[in-house]
Amino acid sequence: MYTITSDIDVRDMARGAVLLGSGGGGDPYVGELYLRNQLAEGRSPQIMKASELRDDAFVVSIAGVGAPTVIIEHLVSTHTLLRLLEASESFYGRKIDALISAEIGGVNSMFPLALGTLAGIPIVDGDGMGRAFPHLEMTTFGVYGCAATPSVLMDDSGNVVHVHTTTNRIAEDVVRSVCASLGSQIFGSFYPMSGHQVKQYTVHDTVTHTLEIGRRIRKARESNIDPVQGVLEFLNAPAEGRYARELFNGRIVDVLHETRDGWHWGRVLISSGAREEPELSIEIQNEYLVARLNGKTVSIVPDLIAILDAESAEPLTAEMLAYGQRVRVIGYSAAPIMRRPECLQVFGPRLFGIDEDFQPVERLSPQATA
Amino acid sequence: MSAASPFKLGVDVGGTNTDAVIMQGEEVIAAAKRSTTADVGDGLIDAVRAVLEAADMSPASVASVMIGTTQFINAFVQRRDLTPVAAVRVALPKTDGIPPMVGWPEDLVQAVGRHGYLVGGGSFYDGREYAPLDTAALEQAGRDIRAKGIRAIALTSGFAPVRPDIERRAEEVLLSVHPDADITRSNDVGGIGLIDRENAALINASLRSLSRKVVTSLKAALERVDMRAPIYFSQNDGTLVSTEYATRYPIVTCSAGPTNSLRGAAFLTGIKDAIVMDIGGTTTDLGFLVRGFPRETATAHLIGGVRTNFRMPDVLSIALGGGTRVRGSAQDVRLGPDSVGFELATRARVFGGNDLTTTDIAVRAGHAAIGDAGRVKSLDGGLVTAVLDRIHGVIEDAVDQMKTSSRPVPVILVGGGHILLSRSLRGTSEVHRPRHADVANAVGAAISMVSGRVDRMFDFAMGRERALDQAKQEARAAALAAGADADSIEIVELTELPMTHMKTTAVQVKVRAVGKLRAGVP
Repeated sequence: MYTITSDIDVRDMARGAVLLGSGGGGDPYVGELYLRNQLAEGRSPQIMKASELRDDAFVVSIAGVGAPTVIIEHLVSTHTLLRLLEASESFYGRKIDALISAEIGGVNSMFPLALGTLAGIPIVDGDGMGRAFPHLEMTTFGVYGCAATPSVLMDDSGNVVHVHTTTNRIAEDVVRSVCASLGSQIFGSFYPMSGHQVKQYTVHDTVTHTLEIGRRIRKARESNIDPVQGVLEFLNAPAEGRYARELFNGRIVDVLHETRDGWHWGRVLISSGAREEPELSIEIQNEYLVARLNGKTVSIVPDLIAILDAESAEPLTAEMLAYGQRVRVIGYSAAPIMRRPECLQVFGPRLFGIDEDFQPVERLSPQATA
Repeated sequence: MSAASPFKLGVDVGGTNTDAVIMQGEEVIAAAKRSTTADVGDGLIDAVRAVLEAADMSPASVASVMIGTTQFINAFVQRRDLTPVAAVRVALPKTDGIPPMVGWPEDLVQAVGRHGYLVGGGSFYDGREYAPLDTAALEQAGRDIRAKGIRAIALTSGFAPVRPDIERRAEEVLLSVHPDADITRSNDVGGIGLIDRENAALINASLRSLSRKVVTSLKAALERVDMRAPIYFSQNDGTLVSTEYATRYPIVTCSAGPTNSLRGAAFLTGIKDAIVMDIGGTTTDLGFLVRGFPRETATAHLIGGVRTNFRMPDVLSIALGGGTRVRGSAQDVRLGPDSVGFELATRARVFGGNDLTTTDIAVRAGHAAIGDAGRVKSLDGGLVTAVLDRIHGVIEDAVDQMKTSSRPVPVILVGGGHILLSRSLRGTSEVHRPRHADVANAVGAAISMVSGRVDRMFDFAMGRERALDQAKQEARAAALAAGADADSIEIVELTELPMTHMKTTAVQVKVRAVGKLRAGVP
């Protein structure tokens, strides 16, 4: 168990959460400001390891659901978070012992921290994917039989919706419909689990990873070391089963965005040096899914792809990409649990319409760059 | 350009110097540089008189005046001349977890105070109101603000870019109980993103009384030299706004300084892709030109430590300039970081002062003939070489930081401090020192164009092409209204951001149209 007490830590965590978002998950800025305000008011989040949970502890995931463009206008309401906690405990009929993020990549890394800080409930150091994914069922929790519902959804105006579905996929569709009906931003409690389940099915330590990633980038900048190298040194840790590769360094020569059925689709083309011909292409479906170097796949979902500003190593979400930006691209291995066959059945390449088998980034791009 | 092109007066009112140029078409007719004065009007008069004399012209022959100034951004960064501001946010029941000014630097909060008011009202992304405007709470807030003796108010409502009328209604309510209130509506200074837009409104509101003072002083100064031509101010993207607009929205001028310097450098050399290095008295600012326009920051921009949704030129500032103080010996050189700044003309050795500066070193090395070289003749040659080594090293490191590939790039040197550099620079292909480089900012102001912007949601149900056409039309109309010549208007920026998680065809579209200033616009 440790406590986050400094503003700088919160900012580092937000930066790290963008990197783990693999282009999606939304900008954690709003969550970061929420936490900084909590710190200013004297409250601090407590982070606990999953192993510190009692087996019969009751753990719930807290998440915001909505469009990135909407949350930056509607922000977060303290009243809503507190009412969500109260409604959830009354609905589940028991006290919540710990909160966990379902999705550490992007803004949903922050909401369990926000409510945990506010209500004095510890937050588990881990999540259900170690990155961001567009669907509620795409979690290790779900793969291993935990149900996303029963679930309590709430908007800022006091509307409460209870959802109890037969499958997590249906839960995703229902939650999305409720979200659209309530102005495209809601908060909810999902994946009620026992401590025992959390210990087995969590992608561990990812809260600490967000902190460490953000910190490495900041520290490298402060000491005039290449910040991309700085973060690669942390991410590429073969002894811990983590691999990271710098895939490309270049300039964005095209960004294509479109919406299909409520999903953000796109493609970004990157070229090196003076050449305008694209060399690296990255397919986007809310997140960066697959990177291909001159047509050859170099990183593919569920492994992560991060696009960083070339100088500052600030991680960029898909919305932030613009023509002409100088960027560096990193491929980063998903946690071993995420690469198991049963997991690839739920969030492997084919689930996103990519007709390829998953291959680990360390095999696709063998040389370590760190 | 024919000889019939109108004469334009470009002025840069910087922190240290006030520069003026007379331009006709593509040609710089005359230039002058004078010191900025405590009342900026006096320095302007000096510079304008000098440039008119150099051009041998009467004020009546000038067709338009373009002013770029760093007065407002400097004031904000230095936390001086800021007025207390109240932040009124119309957004409850939403947003209460992040009150106004979270994350602001403490010294800034001290300067403008922490006076936040949250009241009910606001809109969803599709324009439906999620709560009625709480007029009673607004009136209460207005009375409270008035009782505190605060005039400046930053007013922000949820999804104001979609429903600007909510802010206008809220403004009327506030004015009904606080008639002297000076209100900045967020929708006039920012796009989607409530916090960033609210921050921009707060910054703007805190600068308004200063902008009124500065603009009035500059206008009066021009009248005193019988300059009757229409006056414009340069804004962040290198385009012009009216004096009226600059007074009301000083925030739009906040990065006009570096933009003008970069655009002026491109114009003077004809080079479209290069690093531009502006060596001033206190700092050296490096920017990157891409196709003749400044490269902008990829990530959110901070103004004086506050995040806004303005995109700004990506500028790297290092503490090295012509006034930077030199200490130590040949074996142990220490450069700055302090500078004698605008007191260079009295404190540098060559000007009879006692402080050793980088300018003294350049004079001793024979790279510049200013002041009295005799006063630095006895300086140790070893020290001079060591200081020059250090200066070039620092600059080369900065060039390295700006670059994104190892390929050498051309460098354009502007600003008075260019005398500090005498050698070729590692990582660069060539170093240009264009004529009139020391007044590149004023040239950049003089060549400014006018623009129109749109940043709001469009419904693509009507068809993407039609929606984009409509957005472009609105941007063109805005450029026209700002004084652009209709035939010269071009769309220079178009961004579409689709909305996820919605059963909707709404897309956020940002368009910027730019054109040449129409002749004879008042």
